Amino acid sequence: MTASLNRRPPELAALVPQSSKRDLNQADICLEVQNLDLYYGDKQALRGVNLRIARHQVTAFIGPSGCGKSTLLRCFNRMNDLVDGVRVDGRILMNGSDINARGVDVAALRRRVGMVFQKPNPLPKSIYENVAYGLRLQGINSRRLLDEVVERSLRGAALWDEVKDRLNDSALGLSGGQQQRLVIARAIAIEPEVLLLDEPASALDPISTLKIEELIYELKGNYTILIVTHNMQQAARVSDYTAFMYLGEMVEYDDTNTLFTNPAKQQTEDYVTGRYG
Amino acid sequence: MSRSLVGQHISAEFNQELADITNRIMLMGGLVEQQVKDALESLHEENRQLAAVVVTTDYKINALEVAIDEECMQIIARRQPAASDLRLVMTVIKVITDLERIGDEAEGIGQVALALAARGDSAQIDLVSMGRHVRQMVRNSLDAFARTDVDLALEVAREEEVVDREYESVVRQLITYMMEDPRTISSTIELMWAARSLERIADHARNIAEYIIFLVKGRDVRHLSLEQMEKAARAVR
Amino acid sequence: MQTTPTTNDEAPLRFKTWVASGDPWIWITGSGVTISLIAVVGLLLLMAIRGMGHFWPSDVMRTSYQDANGTTTVIVGELVESEEVTAARVRDSGYQPADGKTFLRRDLIKIGNRDAFSQDFRWLLVDRMGPVSYPKELLVLERREWGNAYGALVAVKENGQLVASGNSAWAELQRRVERTHSLFTEIHGIEKSEIGAINYAIERLRLKERGLERTGQLTAVAALEIKEDRAKYQADYSDVQKRLGVLYAEIRRDSITLRISDGSEREISLAKVVRVYRPNDMGVVAKIRFYCEKLWEFVSDEPRESNTEGGIFPAIFGTVLMVVVMSILVMPLGVMAAVYLREYAKQGLLTRLVRIAVNNLAGVPSVVYGVFGLGFFVYFMGGRIDQLFFSEALPAPTFGTPGLLWSSVVLALLTLPVVIVSTEEGLTRIPRSIREGSLALGATQAETLWRVVLPMAAPGIMTGLILSVARAAGEVAPLMMVGVVKLAPSLPLDSNFPFLHLDRKFMHMGFHIYDVGFQSPNVEAARPLVYATALLLVVVVIVLNIAAIHMRNRLRERYRGAE
Repeated sequence: MTASLNRRPPELAALVPQSSKRDLNQADICLEVQNLDLYYGDKQALRGVNLRIARHQVTAFIGPSGCGKSTLLRCFNRMNDLVDGVRVDGRILMNGSDINARGVDVAALRRRVGMVFQKPNPLPKSIYENVAYGLRLQGINSRRLLDEVVERSLRGAALWDEVKDRLNDSALGLSGGQQQRLVIARAIAIEPEVLLLDEPASALDPISTLKIEELIYELKGNYTILIVTHNMQQAARVSDYTAFMYLGEMVEYDDTNTLFTNPAKQQTEDYVTGRYG
Repeated sequence: MSRSLVGQHISAEFNQELADITNRIMLMGGLVEQQVKDALESLHEENRQLAAVVVTTDYKINALEVAIDEECMQIIARRQPAASDLRLVMTVIKVITDLERIGDEAEGIGQVALALAARGDSAQIDLVSMGRHVRQMVRNSLDAFARTDVDLALEVAREEEVVDREYESVVRQLITYMMEDPRTISSTIELMWAARSLERIADHARNIAEYIIFLVKGRDVRHLSLEQMEKAARAVR
Repeated sequence: MQTTPTTNDEAPLRFKTWVASGDPWIWITGSGVTISLIAVVGLLLLMAIRGMGHFWPSDVMRTSYQDANGTTTVIVGELVESEEVTAARVRDSGYQPADGKTFLRRDLIKIGNRDAFSQDFRWLLVDRMGPVSYPKELLVLERREWGNAYGALVAVKENGQLVASGNSAWAELQRRVERTHSLFTEIHGIEKSEIGAINYAIERLRLKERGLERTGQLTAVAALEIKEDRAKYQADYSDVQKRLGVLYAEIRRDSITLRISDGSEREISLAKVVRVYRPNDMGVVAKIRFYCEKLWEFVSDEPRESNTEGGIFPAIFGTVLMVVVMSILVMPLGVMAAVYLREYAKQGLLTRLVRIAVNNLAGVPSVVYGVFGLGFFVYFMGGRIDQLFFSEALPAPTFGTPGLLWSSVVLALLTLPVVIVSTEEGLTRIPRSIREGSLALGATQAETLWRVVLPMAAPGIMTGLILSVARAAGEVAPLMMVGVVKLAPSLPLDSNFPFLHLDRKFMHMGFHIYDVGFQSPNVEAARPLVYATALLLVVVVIVLNIAAIHMRNRLRERYRGAE
């Protein structure tokens, strides 16, 4: 009687897989980081990072302040180019081609890899113009097309219903959460492949944060999303994969369920349980 | 695993809360162990007074279960524990359920002792060996929890199979008794109940041991064969 | 703490606790504010009272006065001011004080009639004055030359023939002054615009001819054309002259006879009269109307009598135009420099040195800029420009002489540091996140600069403009070397092509103040104008600033949430 209970019946095994763990080896890889080192002058900010990002999944980066997670995120759209004295070794492949290669148009890359920052940073223009900004940069000025994209993007960012009657008002009059969703709308208006979110909800109240998280969940069907967050619960809630970074190194990278219930490394364990210190 | 279960959280209050539930579990475990011991003694020595004590003490265990349950819920709500903390809280919740069941079974044995004493029958069959085994398992499972000792937990799991065999032989003996002398049927059935309770206590102890392996190794070893379980527990993380 | 201290200890203790409480600091700092406020308000009030009082028609008094020689004369004039002097000072000036008084009162009377008395102000000791009366019939004539005339109207004449005398003369005079005034306006208009335009055209024709001559392109056909044109202009000119002759005859028709204080009668042509009035006969309403007229004349008319009378319109116009041209020059330059320094240049030792240099440039005394401007811009650059583009006018310089352009350039140079510093300030205040937001959408740095950064830095740029306008409008010293004149014959902006004449010299209020106050032949008469002009300069600067501040605030409002 007890002996039979000790074995999992085959039909049960089919119903409940041994583990819900996602397997990166079978995933469609969108971005691949190979032996990435990054220096700010003499200071090394990233040390030998290797990473594969699955397409149309949410990958979260967690780690203490200064661990290099934002720096890593900014490598994907080469935002670090703006900082003086930055040197990057190693490769970042996007769909197989190196984004740091000679002759890569950075502006074009940034159109493919959109970014949302920690603090909502709408441009001091109207709501409409904020969303249309990226298109206007590409020389698209057709009113009809712009109207269409603005509406679609605002709907995509779950903001349309709140702002449809005041599209020509200044974007600076929106609340923080609305501004952040506007910035997301602005980013998706130019239809990037990848969205980089750098602590997108850290300046927002809990309800706005939940809206952003819900939005991330909806967006992941169409975009590969990379999110840096200080909020471990948020990473646990929104992401499919989580990378824990510490002192510029990728300590552990695994599917989120595993990382938050049963991390492999002691450092990760200490960090996610709040023992880090 | 050399580290304590609670560890050094940045939040001292969290440490305190986790220490609190583990302490209470040990308290509850101690109570349960005592109950099992007393129940078995009252059965062997036909001690009505002790049996009565066993029957009336179970409420303490129940109260502790409720209290620890509530504390765990609060920790989940307020601390959102992750990784080992999460596994600890989940383990505690499950362990107290099993401990409470063990308490119930002990109470059941106490009832049997009372019933047998009321009838004036003495136990014709020796449950001492099986009882000692079961008590050892309970103690070991609690020790394994306190020390997060996987080896000891595996030991408990192994013991459980021994107890299973002992139970089967006890049942066989009791059936023989009943066939030999139908007058003893009713008291033998009472004993059967007690043996059954002991077997259940062993099951619960094994469950606790499985939770401990989950707690330490992060692997769910329920419903696995002993070999599989050992393999999982030995796996180097 | 010890209780019941003795009374001797109490006072210092209380003082000590009072000091410790910090109250003294509030008082000291507060008094600093108070003193500053009093200084500013006092300054404005002084200028307003001294300057604006000048336009009020004060009553004309008549009195008798016994001078040092004992002779008695009749005095007619306006009381300007009154002061106490020591007897010693009076004695020094030749008078013997009547008794042992140490202080005496004396009045300054504007007696006018400079043509008769050769001075139009007199200090009179009150002790020696006879009874004062204010007869209604006393007349004040504002004239185009010799200053005011005071006296009683005897008769009005037309071509020397008596038209009216006695009581009817005043009404007749007013009518005829009106007519003369309209004739004068007509003549002035013709002289300014028509003759000015013809002269300008002839001059250009001459320059064209010389230019062709120099390059050897003066063909017979061209020469003939020029000759024809010139003949046409000459014909126009003589035509205008003929019309003017008629008008001049008309305006010279009327004259009046005025009996002045010494009893003599003087014949004054109405052509020379700006306005006549009888202040003693005016009610308050009439005086207010008169005051407003005078005030309007002051801001809208040209100066007369070497700037001591009339208005200062050319100076206001010159100041504003110079500031505008300067702004147009300095804004792009300063903004470009600041943008390069902040946005493109690699921050390091070099940019720090450049910033230090720019800041020090702001500290160079302005007169140094004037000297530099004269040497470099006027003589060197202006000379080169003349050789290259205006060689036909040589040796008469076009740009090789002080003028509006060089003044604006020098002031632009002077205020450049202010614009650079405040623009940089504005650029620094733009959060990095906004730029990154734009860049992250695939904008290049230049696109970000044009579409986002510069619009947002506009308030900072405006601040720079405000500061530089305030500085430029008040600057005098360098302008004296590079373009300002006491009296400009024509405005730098007129209806002759190319309308804006950057090569012309111009008038400036700051210089006007200096000129009227210190270079005027008639200091007493000019002093109120100095105050009035100073006040007006302050007003112009304030108006320019308010306009700019208003613009800046509107821009700030628009971008407020982004910072």
